[in-house]
Amino acid sequence: MIPAAIREPVIVGRGLTQVYGAATVLDDVDIRIDPGEVRALIGSNGAGKSTLVKILTGAVRPTAGTVEVVGQQVHLGSPSEMIGRGVACIYQHSNLAPALSVLDNIFLGRNPTRRLGLVDRPRQRREAQALLARHGIQIDLDVPAGSLPAVKQKEVEILKALALDAKVLLMDEPTGWLASADVANLHATIRKLKGQGVGILYISHMLDEVFAICDTMTILRDGRVVAENAVADISRARAIELMIGRQLAAQTKEASEARVSRMTGSVRLKARGLARNGVFSGVDIDLNAGEILCITGLIGSKRTELVRAIFGCESLDAGSIEIDGAPIAVKSPSEAIAAGIGLVPEDRHRDGLMLGLSVSENLMMATLGRFRRGLLLDRGGMATAARRLIASLNVKPASETRQVRLLSGGNQQKVLLGKWLDGRPGILMLDEPTVGVDVGAKAEIYDILRAARDEGAAILVVSSDIEEVLAIGDRVGVMSAGRLVSVHPAKALTASSLVTMIGEAA
Amino acid sequence: MSETTSISVASAWRLAATHALPVSIAIVVAVFAVAEPAFLTPDNLLGIVRQIALVGIMAAASTFVIMTGGVDLSVGPVLALAGLVAYFVLGAGYPVPVAVLAGLGIGLFIGLLNGAAIGFLDLPPIIVTLASLSIVRGAALIVGGPDLHSIRDQPIYSAIGTGSLAGIPLPVWIFAAVVLLLVFVQVRTPFGLLVAALGENERAARLSGHRTRITKMLVYGLSATGAALAGIVLSSQVHTASATYGPFGTELDVIAAIVVGGTSIMGGNGSVVRTVVGVLFLGVVSNGMNLLNVPIDVQLIAKGAIIVVALGLSARR
Amino acid sequence: MAGRYSILPLVGFFILVFAFFSFTATRFASATNIENLLSGFSFVAMLAVGQAFPILLRGIDLSVGAIVAVVGMIVFDLSLIFGVPGWLILPVALLAGAAAGALNGVLVVYVRLQPFIATLATLAAYRGLVYSISGRQLVPELSTTPLRDPWIIGLETYFDVGRFLGISSIVKLPWIPLSFVALLALVAVLQLVLSATRFGRDLFAVGGNLEGARLAGINVARVTVAAYAISGACAALAALFLVARLTTATEALGIGAELTAIAAAVVGGVSLQGGVGTVVGPAIGAFLLGVILLGLTLLGVSQFVQQIMTGVILLAAISYDRLLALRVRRAGPSL
Repeated sequence: MIPAAIREPVIVGRGLTQVYGAATVLDDVDIRIDPGEVRALIGSNGAGKSTLVKILTGAVRPTAGTVEVVGQQVHLGSPSEMIGRGVACIYQHSNLAPALSVLDNIFLGRNPTRRLGLVDRPRQRREAQALLARHGIQIDLDVPAGSLPAVKQKEVEILKALALDAKVLLMDEPTGWLASADVANLHATIRKLKGQGVGILYISHMLDEVFAICDTMTILRDGRVVAENAVADISRARAIELMIGRQLAAQTKEASEARVSRMTGSVRLKARGLARNGVFSGVDIDLNAGEILCITGLIGSKRTELVRAIFGCESLDAGSIEIDGAPIAVKSPSEAIAAGIGLVPEDRHRDGLMLGLSVSENLMMATLGRFRRGLLLDRGGMATAARRLIASLNVKPASETRQVRLLSGGNQQKVLLGKWLDGRPGILMLDEPTVGVDVGAKAEIYDILRAARDEGAAILVVSSDIEEVLAIGDRVGVMSAGRLVSVHPAKALTASSLVTMIGEAA
Repeated sequence: MSETTSISVASAWRLAATHALPVSIAIVVAVFAVAEPAFLTPDNLLGIVRQIALVGIMAAASTFVIMTGGVDLSVGPVLALAGLVAYFVLGAGYPVPVAVLAGLGIGLFIGLLNGAAIGFLDLPPIIVTLASLSIVRGAALIVGGPDLHSIRDQPIYSAIGTGSLAGIPLPVWIFAAVVLLLVFVQVRTPFGLLVAALGENERAARLSGHRTRITKMLVYGLSATGAALAGIVLSSQVHTASATYGPFGTELDVIAAIVVGGTSIMGGNGSVVRTVVGVLFLGVVSNGMNLLNVPIDVQLIAKGAIIVVALGLSARR
Repeated sequence: MAGRYSILPLVGFFILVFAFFSFTATRFASATNIENLLSGFSFVAMLAVGQAFPILLRGIDLSVGAIVAVVGMIVFDLSLIFGVPGWLILPVALLAGAAAGALNGVLVVYVRLQPFIATLATLAAYRGLVYSISGRQLVPELSTTPLRDPWIIGLETYFDVGRFLGISSIVKLPWIPLSFVALLALVAVLQLVLSATRFGRDLFAVGGNLEGARLAGINVARVTVAAYAISGACAALAALFLVARLTTATEALGIGAELTAIAAAVVGGVSLQGGVGTVVGPAIGAFLLGVILLGLTLLGVSQFVQQIMTGVILLAAISYDRLLALRVRRAGPSL
């Protein structure tokens, strides 16, 4: 054991700040990892965790701040520099080259070479096999990575990171896609690396895992470090409170206590046995008028896929859907909209907004039919309707001609919501409605959803944010590995009981 | 750095980028006017507009294609084929309106086929229209052979390209009419809004319940119809139809006018009015260079350079 | 190895088409016709092989035809006007092509132009350049003078394989043009680069998963510029053989060549989705195109129909590419 006094941290970040346009995503964050330390990085959605990871891997250059690896200041914003210094990362999404073999992917960007730049395949294979043996992983090195199932692809990503002989290993939601046996394997690997003096940053929603494997934790909220503790010194309840803030925690408690049973409304959307081969199966849903049903679960539990299939983006392989008692087959979003269903997608920039168009055009995009006058478009009518919505949603600045690009994340999200509120679809589905939205706008969005519910809308919210689920849900469903495992009245739930339930379902 | 400065820097760029073109037109005009007094005469200025009318019609009609993030490389052969079709229909003794409609119809038909392959089969626009460039040229050569066909004794048809109204040549009127129509479509119809929405974010447009595939198909139909109209005007202007009209490079002129005008090649951001400004700019530059006896090779290089600079500017936005 | 699976059906299809024309078109399987095929389509194959590199990166190079013309004119000028010896002209020509290609890459990477628009712009610029450096116009009296430098004219050489093997009395074998031998060497070298070097691995990574490649520390800018430079160098090589064959260079050299090159590359299994493809495939694709076009000619089909056929083949190839991509997406893990 090296005496603590001369132990030098493997990585130190100081004053890391990231500003995107009008939003400060990360505000003066310090982070430090010692050799052999497993540090948890936790925080609710939009707290700035992934931005911090991206800075540490060199994927983005921060607006301000410095990073030192083993005592040496590094040039920020260069992935190859970070890799060269021994900072490896296992990302949430795939970073493999699908056409290349597993072997080539493990050594991607740094294949050992001989003369003339020829790849030294024997050496590559030797090193890879040694790696497989050391970590007890079995995988065919010669198949194209793209042909492997998702879980195996993740193993390749882990191997890629391990092959680096990293001094620092960042793991972004490493277990979101793993079965529990694999989680145990992964944790064994982490302990082994820890023994070798690797410093690990473990980003996870799963407090169970954090308390099982981590030594210390850094808690982020709204882009700031709100606490740094040894895991042994903090209770789970306190950690949750720090993640979401005392005020919201109190509100959550209040909201769930004030909740009345809302199961009395008529069933608007009734789904039975919904299935999509290899994705989800046997999903039954009863969504009532005047309620908010939240579906939560781990990343990768196929909640997004479920709502997209209900909305007709992807085809269903089995199951039936009834709306107000009438059976209906939805094959495309336009049919879903005609049937009175609306969807606010998870990725608002990719799937939701037309950033270069005006607020009014975005608000009316799903209900343009209302403004058709023969071949013409009633621009005046659109503007009037838009102004009414802008006022009721409190969109700022209150201008219907402004480009959506120029709004803040929260106001953009309100526009996306408003798109469905004026057309009054009876059924509204929202996928992670407050990701990347600041606290103030979050509360406003909750109010908008509650108001729509009280007017009789049937609302289904997919959310990974436990506090959100408890704050707005009337009923809460837990989804795991493509199955809707259970549905509970929100009144009966607490944050910790729900967290336990999600962990057990996985 | 504070928020306000970063926003004002961004908007300054935007401001510069949106007004760069009119300003550069003014500068170019001033330079040419000083260098060559003949440039600023009414005759020459009208000549410029007449010269750009053909490219202008095509570019205006193709703007929507670029706005959806696509491209139409097949305009040249369509122009040739439409003129030939009109020639043969006239030759068969049908009246002029029938000939014109037949020419426009063949353009619309080809464009809709392009659009169907792109919209419904999800094939990449560059490749589809590149293939259709080859196919339509081959078809035109089969129909008309490599020779020129002269259009004689068709005073009404010839008037389309050579007549004038109120002292302004008819092709210029046609160009103006096409532009007005398309501006109207863009601003005042749901179709126009849908084109912008599609280019901005196709996934979001589909998730908003719009039938994006049909919109795409129509956009290519419109572009090819514009090329066909240009083909008819051209064949009337020069009294001949030929399968070799609209040579390689025509599509480049059209795309250049659109992107130099400031319509984003990535889709979304764009307008027919900007295209008109782009057409004017390139027309002025080329006319000025002709007056100054700049050789054709330098003109070609200059054209390439202008595109690169214009797009490099817009990539900065 | 990446993409090898797409070669076998291509070879099968090639044999099938070849057999079809051998039976239906008299003189198709004759030694003379095979010679025509080999010498006429080795250029196309060189361009297609080069084109594979930008397409592997999800890009495209529309300027190859114009680069052929520029390089052809450089050879003409250096040899006839400046009297530079041929052994020096050859490397200079290849370098010029690589530089012209590298400029495309620079425009894509640093000016952030879309590949097709960048190469469309350079297409215009390079065509303009051809006119301004055209020795035929600068020194009109040279315009009918053929190139005579042995280094250049020597590129148009044929090897009598039959006689070499001593079987020319039994069966008449086609003479093999040097351009075909050069093509084989080019394919061998570039295939090795693609499948056995670090650069090749990086190329597949950038084309298959740009963000992943960046995060793995791969120098995306360098890989991209190099890919376009290779395309330009291949065009230069094609230009050398083309000029040797014509014994002169014209301003119109290589017009429309990008269309055939892209068609051959796509037919040869280089996916427009990026990250999937080989070098062997485009070469076979070019000769497949050649077999179809020559076969149709021998069947008496007009050259205009051939133009249509080129377009149709291109459409068929991308439709097939699209179909494969869809099937992979349905079978593969949903992300």
